[in-house]
Amino acid sequence: MKSSVWRIILFAIVGAFVLVPLTQTIITSFISTLPRAGITEGHFSLINYQNILRSAVLKQAVLNSIIYVVLNVALCLGVGLPAAYAFARYSFVGDRQLFFLLLVFRITPTVVLSLPIFVLFAQIGLENTPVGIALVHCVFNIPIAIWILEGFISSVPREFDETAFLDGHSLPSFFFRHLVPAIAPGIGVTAFFCFIFSWVEVVLARILTTTGGKPITMAINALFGFRTDFGLVMAMTVLALVPGVAMIYFVRNHLARGFVIRT
Amino acid sequence: MKPYDNRAWFLVLPALVILTFVGILPLVAVTNYSFQDLFSLNKPFWVGVDWYRNIVTSQRFYASLSRSFLFSAIVLSIQLPLGIWIALLLQRSHRFVVSTVLVLITVPLVVPWNMIPVIWLNFINPNIGLAGRMLAWLGIGFDYKFNALHTWIVLVVMDTWHWLGLVVVLAYAGISGIPPAYYQAAAIDAASPWQVFRFIQLPKMKTVLSMAVLLRFMDSFMIYIEAFRINAGGPDGATAFLSLDLGEEIQSFNYGPSAARSIVYFLIVLTVAWTFKAATSTRAPVAMEPAT
Repeated sequence: MKSSVWRIILFAIVGAFVLVPLTQTIITSFISTLPRAGITEGHFSLINYQNILRSAVLKQAVLNSIIYVVLNVALCLGVGLPAAYAFARYSFVGDRQLFFLLLVFRITPTVVLSLPIFVLFAQIGLENTPVGIALVHCVFNIPIAIWILEGFISSVPREFDETAFLDGHSLPSFFFRHLVPAIAPGIGVTAFFCFIFSWVEVVLARILTTTGGKPITMAINALFGFRTDFGLVMAMTVLALVPGVAMIYFVRNHLARGFVIRT
Repeated sequence: MKPYDNRAWFLVLPALVILTFVGILPLVAVTNYSFQDLFSLNKPFWVGVDWYRNIVTSQRFYASLSRSFLFSAIVLSIQLPLGIWIALLLQRSHRFVVSTVLVLITVPLVVPWNMIPVIWLNFINPNIGLAGRMLAWLGIGFDYKFNALHTWIVLVVMDTWHWLGLVVVLAYAGISGIPPAYYQAAAIDAASPWQVFRFIQLPKMKTVLSMAVLLRFMDSFMIYIEAFRINAGGPDGATAFLSLDLGEEIQSFNYGPSAARSIVYFLIVLTVAWTFKAATSTRAPVAMEPAT
């Protein structure tokens, strides 16, 4: 049983490598880092979290982030599901070219698109709003949604569809009554990946919210200044981690199933 | 064989409309800008391929290009073997261990990208950081600001911290999809662990691993926010990667040159995607799999 001991030790090292930098962030978030009346600098305090609750700007930023990310996941699932179904069940003119297009858009660096997106969205009034960010993050999230959902739909036998159609279901009713429940874990995994890639993206989010509608990430950027309150910065960072960690926990048993790509 | 039906286009259409709006239109616009001098967006002045000529004849472009390639090569050669190794060990572990390790290792993936350098700068700070104080205590003069090698080390370790989880998840997805019959057959043939890896696990992981290579290559090749925040391309341009040059030009509102640069980078992306597709769509026969 020597090998299993080594394995546990290795996993412990990996765990420490992941956790130690984060631990320092979490600890700092509970420390008052600026001189304040009544609190010793460098001591444990909840002041940073209380300051977030007191700041209308930071609370609005949390709300903006949630709005755009929910909107983005809903959009990607909404347009990704029919598209994934088409790719999984039919062959049609240009299907392989379309798949290639998805691949290209997934790997195009956001910084490459940021200039024209900024100009385009400014002209049609989609700058400084969470809706703009939600839309623009589709460029890399729709491909992901289609890939993952296509994999899950392909693993459902075709007879499943045919039986439902014979029972008189229309396509939309088949989607909602039969297909969605059958691939529920796939929808969860898709939502998870769309969520994390949208939640962490900052290049496009920054260029679209120069004066307003800032998400959490940009609100944190704005906290840096002449005398940065690092405690507050770290408290916001910890807050920004919570939804992601919660989502990882929910999809942990299905994580490994998604994300298999066809070309 | 899937039935041939062009009505499937109606199902793809909504996704395509959005992608056209946020992907294709911007690319068309940026192509247009790249041939013009746009002091302000209202007064374009046609300059032809001048911006492109400036890029492809500049030493700086090739220096950045080779730095980006080097960074990707280092990152891939560390993260890929490490990720596969962890996934292989996970495969022999208890279910509970698997989900704990997978949850832990994917946590860095949900950290907003602009906060990753902040977390790490805090961590390696020589006065307050755990790693920084540890290194000082050990007597190692660690100076990520002015020592190019140290900046590189920080970037590579940080990138590994950030992305190892993705490689592990993908590799584990590939391994856990192998039916037990393969291992039984290998046991009958008295195959060594290396042979099992080389002729069963590796071929079976090929699809997901190529995906991991592609994603990791592109993201490290175009690393931007993380590298910018650590040392802004310094010291003395030693970590000036491709996207940092582009970011600099966008920040200073040089529309024309940054548009041309965007197009050049997009062409690199297209080449990579094309190579990837060509490499993965030729289906080599997999060991022990009956030909279909």
